[in-house]
Amino acid sequence: MRRYAKLYWEFAKNQMKVMMEYRIDFIIGVLSVMLEQFASIFFIKVVFNHIEQINGWSFYEILFIYGIAATGRSIHHIFFDNLWTLGWQYIRPGQLDRLLIRPINPLFHIVADRLHQDGFGQLIIGLIILGTAIPQLDLAWGAVEIALLVVMIISSGMIFVAVNLFFATFSFWMIDSLPVVWAVFNLSDFARYPLTIYHKGIRTFLTWIIPYGFTAFYPAAYFIDKSGFRELALWTPAVALVCCVIAYSFWNRGLRSFASTGS
Amino acid sequence: MNKYWQIAKVRMQEDTAYSAWYWAGTVSSILRLLVIYYFWQAVYSNRSAIQDIDLETMITYIVVAMLLQGFVGGVGQDLAENIKNGNVAIELMRPYDLIYKMFAVDLGSKLMHLIRGTIPMMLVAFFFMDIPFPGSVEAWLLFIISAGLGLWIGTFFDFLVGVLAFWTVNIWGVRVLKESLVTFFSGALIPISLFPDWLRVITEFLPFQAMVYLPVSIYSGMISGTEAYLAVGLQLFWLISFYVLVRVIWAQAVKQITIFGG
Repeated sequence: MRRYAKLYWEFAKNQMKVMMEYRIDFIIGVLSVMLEQFASIFFIKVVFNHIEQINGWSFYEILFIYGIAATGRSIHHIFFDNLWTLGWQYIRPGQLDRLLIRPINPLFHIVADRLHQDGFGQLIIGLIILGTAIPQLDLAWGAVEIALLVVMIISSGMIFVAVNLFFATFSFWMIDSLPVVWAVFNLSDFARYPLTIYHKGIRTFLTWIIPYGFTAFYPAAYFIDKSGFRELALWTPAVALVCCVIAYSFWNRGLRSFASTGS
Repeated sequence: MNKYWQIAKVRMQEDTAYSAWYWAGTVSSILRLLVIYYFWQAVYSNRSAIQDIDLETMITYIVVAMLLQGFVGGVGQDLAENIKNGNVAIELMRPYDLIYKMFAVDLGSKLMHLIRGTIPMMLVAFFFMDIPFPGSVEAWLLFIISAGLGLWIGTFFDFLVGVLAFWTVNIWGVRVLKESLVTFFSGALIPISLFPDWLRVITEFLPFQAMVYLPVSIYSGMISGTEAYLAVGLQLFWLISFYVLVRVIWAQAVKQITIFGG
């Protein structure tokens, strides 16, 4: 464990050097993601200029859901972004073989290979959204609540990671599963809004099959009393853990049956 | 002319070769339609109109805007990669005008997208979401002209963004930046008439609304009559300005290649 922590630090230091080398690009990356998020929030704001609530949810409550999703996703974006590239950067060109003969966990190696600059923009905007929404929500904030919010956000991030890892693993059989990963990732768009606005089938799917509901809506619902999802919301960390275990076992399975592309 | 058409055809064949991406794109579009549908149902759950726009018109606007936005991109990505890996130098020596070649490639992929992506999705929207077609033949014709102009403006703009690759390394970042700007100001997310006043005024002076907002407003009947013809005129103005800009900036950029001995 200590060895891996130290290794990660070494990897990260190199990544940081690269980032500082291209400073303008770092700023472009951060700004671009911030603007992207800002556009979606502005969209919600414009809608709320004309109405007071959606399905019983006020502007700041929706902002709160959004903020949890954005912050959770930033964990995934900063630290685990390289999972996207498994197919075209590692398996197709035969790079994965290089990692397999090294004395460290190949998944760790792939993840540590990249620290994504643009994720920081996401993190900043996520925190800004949370900072804007929370004071307007009329909630009592104690140490317990803050700790719980942090746990919820980390769980949210880990669910994003687990789902991406699970579908990226298909690359072992189909060489590059990026289209699948991308299509599944788009499902997380549903999670921006209260799940109660959707048809029951969609809600069940996003709760029990691909649990994006736990990346934002349920955690937010825990803090907003009236929602009636408090008990389910408390399961968020457990859901995240189960997802990670399933995804990692699947990854190991894929790795065992992996026959290189050969070159 | 014939050589450019051949290039477009090759691109169409290339696009059909990657069916995984096609299916992923189709699934994602259907998911987005679902999100749009439920979101706006919820917004309209206890009111019949927002600023004179009823639910049907709103969903029509949003869905058509979403489909149209799929065409607003262009060749910027290809161009940027060509610049980055130096291929642009070889491309420039080939016996065609690189700009026309790029637009031919773009035309090929857009035609394919129209046939395989947009038309099926339009039918899905028509049958399952009751999205109506434009009210009159005149509106249909104006929409087709206006949409064509809008896409062209979008393609030119994308080209200009692609040329930026001469000056920056983070191509991905620039693209996301461009996508957000376009999504935001083109009215792809929400009709611009709902923007707060100050922002609406700014937006009306920007070229982005000509890409999506104007054609879709004509489609959904939010703009009609003289106003619609004025909108098309405004699009023409932007199209010509962008063409001039593309030529000028490209001439500058090509000079830069020779300086670095590419």
